Amino acid sequence: MLIIAGIAVGIGIQVFVGSLITSLQADLVDSTVGSSPHITLLPDDDADFVSGALVGEVSDDPLVTTAIPVRRLSGIYTNGEDSLALSVTAGTSDDLDSIYRLSGRITEGSYRLDMAEILVGIGFSEDADVHAGDQLPLVLPYGTVGEYTVAGVFDLGAAAANDRLAFLDDASGAAALGQGADEYSAIEIQVEDVFASTETADRLAGIDGVSVVDWQDENEELLSGLAAQSGSSLMIQGFVLVAVALGIASTLAISAVQKTRQIGILKAMGMTDGSAGRIFLWQAALLGVAGVLLGIGLGYALIWGFSFAPVDFTVRPQASLILISAAIGIAVALASAIIPSRSTSRLDPIEVIQGA
Amino acid sequence: MPDVLVADQLEMVYGEGDTSTRALKDVSFGVNSGEFASIIGQSGSGKSTLLNILGLLDTPTGGRVILDDQDVTALDRTERARLRNRAIGFVFQFHHLLPEFTVSENMTMPAQISGRRIGEEDRERTTRILDLLGLEGLANKNANELSGGQKQRVAIGRALMNQPTIILADEPTGNLDSANTEGVYRLFREINQDLGTTFLIVTHDRGVAEMTDRVLEVRDGELVQDLRNTYLPPAGG
Ligand SMILES: Nc1ncnc2c1ncn2[C@@H]1O[C@H](COP(=O)(O)OP(=O)(O)OP(=O)(O)O)[C@@H](O)[C@H]1O
Ligand SMILES: [Mg+2]
Repeated sequence: MLIIAGIAVGIGIQVFVGSLITSLQADLVDSTVGSSPHITLLPDDDADFVSGALVGEVSDDPLVTTAIPVRRLSGIYTNGEDSLALSVTAGTSDDLDSIYRLSGRITEGSYRLDMAEILVGIGFSEDADVHAGDQLPLVLPYGTVGEYTVAGVFDLGAAAANDRLAFLDDASGAAALGQGADEYSAIEIQVEDVFASTETADRLAGIDGVSVVDWQDENEELLSGLAAQSGSSLMIQGFVLVAVALGIASTLAISAVQKTRQIGILKAMGMTDGSAGRIFLWQAALLGVAGVLLGIGLGYALIWGFSFAPVDFTVRPQASLILISAAIGIAVALASAIIPSRSTSRLDPIEVIQGA
Repeated sequence: MPDVLVADQLEMVYGEGDTSTRALKDVSFGVNSGEFASIIGQSGSGKSTLLNILGLLDTPTGGRVILDDQDVTALDRTERARLRNRAIGFVFQFHHLLPEFTVSENMTMPAQISGRRIGEEDRERTTRILDLLGLEGLANKNANELSGGQKQRVAIGRALMNQPTIILADEPTGNLDSANTEGVYRLFREINQDLGTTFLIVTHDRGVAEMTDRVLEVRDGELVQDLRNTYLPPAGG
């Protein structure tokens, strides 16, 4: 039956496009904020530092998954006429790993931050020709020079990060900035749902002496891009559904007209209006279920086919999306049966008998 | 003999105002259980109108229909459908078999409509009726592989399946040649005698009507004659 193929194609596209967009967005968001803070607490204008004691308070928020105290400083590396600026974050190796997930991304040396050790990005490492085990002198904010040992080189997958980011052990950071044990530059936070960060950010804004930075405020373009993409994908899916509905409706309508005579005679033999109407509901349900099952298969096939495409990106089938598509597909099939069911139910057998 | 079907002062007006047609005028009669009767009349005289009303396919604009001592005039559509299924067997000029189904599936259609599961009893009855119809061995043949006469006999078999109170037939041999026409009437008569089924058959053929036990004649919507088992005057007389 052609219409089953039609429904299958519709649902297949639905499943594939939906999964593609969702995966694409998840990937994009993950590479944007997956391994960086979602919310940052900075000292407000009147303060020079934030207290490390706030970490406990922040962690109590049920939506916060990670909160770490860090020190931030800039360092300049000079090599002859070239000078390269680094944005250095200092903290304990465990803390830093919980947000920046560096330990799995070391390409040279190892992930550790013992006294006076530093981790640099692969971009910087190549530009400056500085490698694991090498000494790295950095000019620090107050004009002092810090001598650090490169413990490892990381690759975060983004050129900006690989060129500019560096991570330093906590004690060296404190010394460079002249901060006391409980004094930090910032508290970096990750939350469960990156898109719900604003809610947490608003709550944290109530803490005295800090100003709150939310990743969403700094990535408005990305977010509006994502919203536009979701919107257009929804629109495509909506049109596909409308096409599927029209297909089913026209098939059933034709079938209802063709079967008018037979249904009339069945009614003359005593079929009730209700059972006659249900014929098409059943037919629609059958078409819907068969089409949806085939469509899900087709969607998976497309996703599988896509895995051979020469792109560095995998589409993950979205279970909830598939369930929703299936439910909508069947609901649409049933809805398109309403008109033929009604006309079948209302058909008077005498019309058929007299017309014969 | 009690009347199984009674027409009581039936009136039927089609349309309204100037264009209305009075298709039945004060038609009253009763059909006894086991009777083998016919309705005769010219084209347009109101025979089909009458039969459709008696068969609960149509509702009269006046009067009552009483089936098995029950006034059925005021029943709703669903109740009428159930009653048609249980008590009435129809045979029309066209066989109206479902072409995608086999002979036995077509025969058991009324039973299936009633919501009953088809069991051993139904299968036995199908075989018995097919034998009676001279269609033995055709049960599993597809309905559209049969000849016109065979199809009409299957339609008759289908009408018999639910053991109806009465069989209403409207020009049942209108599409058949004279040999097949003979065959069908002989079959009706056999069924009437063997199973005691009541028959009311519409025809415009006086020769055919003469083969029945009672002839009701309709003219311009009026019942003008009701003759039993006797000599019929020649046509036009
Ligand atoms: N649905 C209808 N609407 C309007 N008039 C109708 C309708 N059905 C029948 N009539 C009229 O009622 C009258 C009786 O029609 P009916 O079909 O009962 O005749 P009949 O005796 O069965 O004729 P035939 O032998 O040609 O089948 C006719 O004048 C016909 O035009
Ligand atoms: Mg007629």
